[in-house]
Amino acid sequence: MFILQATKLHKSYGNKWNKQEVLKGLDVSVKKGEFVSIMGASGSGKTTLLNVLSSIDKVNDGSILIDGTEMTKMKEKQLAEFRKHQLGFIFQEYNLLDTLTVKENILLPLSVMNISRKGAEQRFRALAKTLGIEDVQNKYPNEISGGQKQRTSAARAFIHQPSIIFADEPTGALDSKSASDLLDKLKELNQQYEATIVMVTHHAVAASYGDRVIFIKDGQIYTQLHKGEQSRKDFFQDIMSTQAVLGGVQDEDQ
Amino acid sequence: MKISKLILKNLKKNVKNYYLYVFALTFSVALYFSFVTLQYDPALDATKGSIKGEAGIKAGSVILILIVTVFLLYANRLFMKRRSKEIGLLQLIGMTKNNVFRILSAENFILYFSSFAMGMFLGFSVSKVILMILFKITGVETTVNLRFSSEAFIQTTIVFTIIYLLMMGLNYLFIQRRTILNLFHVNTTSETKGKRLTWLEMLIGLLGIGLILLGYYLSTELFSAEYMTSNGLFFMMILILSSVIVGTYLFYKGTVSFVFHLIRKRKQGLLSIQDVTSLSPLMFRMKSNSLLLTIITTISALAIGLLSLSYITFYSIEEVAKNTVPNDFAFISEEDANQLKQALDSSNITYEETIFEVIQVAFNMNDILSQDNIFANNDGYVRTPVISDTDLERMDVDEGELIISGYNKSLQSVFPFKSSGIVTLKGKNNTVELGYTGIEKNYYLSHYYTGGSARPTAIVDDKMFQQLKKDLDREIEQPSSIYIGLDVVNKKQLEQAHALFAEQNFTSEYAESQLHIKKENQKIFGLIMFVVGFLGLTFLITSGCILYFKQMDEAEDEQPNYTILRKIGFTQSNLLKGVIRKQIFNFGIPLLVGLSHSYFAVKSGWFFFGAELWTPMMLVMVIYTALYSIFAFLSVLYYKRVIREAL
Ligand SMILES: Nc1ncnc2c1ncn2[C@@H]1O[C@H](COP(=O)(O)OP(=O)(O)OP(=O)(O)O)[C@@H](O)[C@H]1O
Ligand SMILES: [Mg+2]
Repeated sequence: MFILQATKLHKSYGNKWNKQEVLKGLDVSVKKGEFVSIMGASGSGKTTLLNVLSSIDKVNDGSILIDGTEMTKMKEKQLAEFRKHQLGFIFQEYNLLDTLTVKENILLPLSVMNISRKGAEQRFRALAKTLGIEDVQNKYPNEISGGQKQRTSAARAFIHQPSIIFADEPTGALDSKSASDLLDKLKELNQQYEATIVMVTHHAVAASYGDRVIFIKDGQIYTQLHKGEQSRKDFFQDIMSTQAVLGGVQDEDQ
Repeated sequence: MKISKLILKNLKKNVKNYYLYVFALTFSVALYFSFVTLQYDPALDATKGSIKGEAGIKAGSVILILIVTVFLLYANRLFMKRRSKEIGLLQLIGMTKNNVFRILSAENFILYFSSFAMGMFLGFSVSKVILMILFKITGVETTVNLRFSSEAFIQTTIVFTIIYLLMMGLNYLFIQRRTILNLFHVNTTSETKGKRLTWLEMLIGLLGIGLILLGYYLSTELFSAEYMTSNGLFFMMILILSSVIVGTYLFYKGTVSFVFHLIRKRKQGLLSIQDVTSLSPLMFRMKSNSLLLTIITTISALAIGLLSLSYITFYSIEEVAKNTVPNDFAFISEEDANQLKQALDSSNITYEETIFEVIQVAFNMNDILSQDNIFANNDGYVRTPVISDTDLERMDVDEGELIISGYNKSLQSVFPFKSSGIVTLKGKNNTVELGYTGIEKNYYLSHYYTGGSARPTAIVDDKMFQQLKKDLDREIEQPSSIYIGLDVVNKKQLEQAHALFAEQNFTSEYAESQLHIKKENQKIFGLIMFVVGFLGLTFLITSGCILYFKQMDEAEDEQPNYTILRKIGFTQSNLLKGVIRKQIFNFGIPLLVGLSHSYFAVKSGWFFFGAELWTPMMLVMVIYTALYSIFAFLSVLYYKRVIREAL
């Protein structure tokens, strides 16, 4: 039932003499269709965790099972193949190609799949409508706003219907209105397509959109909060107080 | 960190990054030094033909230094651009502009002059080989013993020091003129950013192709009679050149992105990964690089064209010598012929003799020419040497007919004769009409009569010949009317016979030896070929390097894109495939356009240079393409590294 199961993850940077352990035997698992947020102080290893979970970076030790497949043993080519088909990414810095239009950027992951032009067009229409970027589809990234870029990036993560979507501070560069717009869409997609979402965020509001929040400290999971049946507002309060205890960088103004 | 340490550290990084810059500099110095060494070498006098070898090499070295200067300045500018962030940073932490300039200059000084020293060393070691190549090409036999020429050393040092100072001057201006802020933004010019295609660009694109085609069309018409006045010719050449060059510029400015845009449009947004890494960047890059690409294309076309022409000349030396002097030895007076015959007899060299009686008759050949005869007078008559078929053993011409000989394939392909027709012969009092029945490619007379290939020889029946002889127009007759050809039977004795020939004192300057002409031409055209080849190689290497540098620059700019693509799951080999395609376009388009330009240029006038077009031209093109491809290959390797390091 777990789509992602990671156990005893170890990751360190640097060399023999100057080593910095970032992940120290961390365990994490995510259910299918779950929307998980990851929080923690700056430098606590959130991006690192996301990177190793999504196979962009390699762990030093530990095991990562996605859909029952062990990823840590895979070769670079297999991993790329895996990412291409199973994973979607929304990066903090948008990561769109400047030389492609919005539509081309979004359709990029489909280029390697056996999908008809018509099928691609259909998927694109549906997603563009949900995310509200139909009007800008033929523009280049430098001609659209930050929020539109972030939504483009989200559309690209969804277009090939991956089993898991990783998002690293997807609202990092947005004002609160655009941020909540995007989070609403994410939630919608999560429910509509049953997409599993793992999202790193600094904002309690953003985190409250998820089903569960994982707090990271010192390379370990510090604590977890489940939303359960409570309202998003209550969940948000919970997150706030945990964050206060954790003593990380706080910006609860959102 | 102390400044000297900073310099060293920067230097280390730069050597790794800019090894090709070091290579190019070393190469330039080596080339120039060996070239200048030749210029000062006394052994070169041996290649002195009718033009002085030294003068040819000197002219070559001036052009060489021009190319090298432009190239080095360009490379330097590119590197300054790459390092602008670093320069801005140094200023940000409180260094003055002068300080930064001093650091850069010191760094450059070390890099530049160590490459210079390497180049000197290399140049000296290879100049012997180069001199040997020169002697081989020109067919001169002397022993090669090269000394270190201090004049060459001094000249090279002066020239490259001037280039260095020029570079530093430009760097100084670069640093002075820019604020810290725009130093940080030099890299992020608009060239990588997407922009939409406008109608204007489409128009420009079409215009570009149109102009190139117009130029090509005009070039095929260049030597047809209509433009054959010297003013008209000059005007046409200027027209062709400007239309092709402007067309090329517009081609890069519009056509390329226009065509790519159409392809892209057809895919309706679903681009393959190859398209993403080749098509879309090319679209924008070609446009912003259009000036550079135009220059490179023009230079390549020029280099290929000149190389082809000089090789055509060189390649045709043997045939041209045969067409100039069809026998081993040619005379236009019996006295001179007898003199050599005696000498040959006394050395027991057997020979065969061919004698023609030659008369000059005015011909009107307009009926058998497909276009106007460019050599004819205003009234359409042209002086033509005529011989009788009795002097030719294996040929019999019917009365009332004539055969044209001494008109080779190349001329035939450019100024074709029809297969039959009527020729009008004008004597002093009468005119005769003869039926022309065909062409014979052999040459029977020396250039005293034929003027090279300008006046093909007519062969008529002996009866007609006697008739014409009675009605000669004294005004157009030559002082001589006899041609005597001697052929040495045993070709092994040819050198010896040639030596005997050289000893004689002949009354006429038209007592000639085929071998002598061949050797003289080999000296002259060998030298030209050598100089042009040298320059062509420099053109090739500098333009290859510039494209490569540009690619290095682009690769770094595009690394973030490769990072994204690899993150979302494209493999290195996925990306590399696109990059290879991009390089094929990047290097291939300028090359193809350059090849095509030079093809039309060579085709329009090659027959003035030699007798064979395809073999020498193809050879030059194939070699040029092969050498040029090395740079495309190097760029792919560089991209490979950038892609590998992207994640
Ligand atoms: N490539 C790397 N090489 C060396 N150290 C690294 C590297 N990437 C991250 N680190 C270190 O690992 C630690 C965790 O970094 P990470 O990027 O995961 O933090 P984060 O939780 O995402 O922080 P933020 O909220 O600021 O993005 C940091 O101390 C960082 O210095
Ligand atoms: Mg981070």
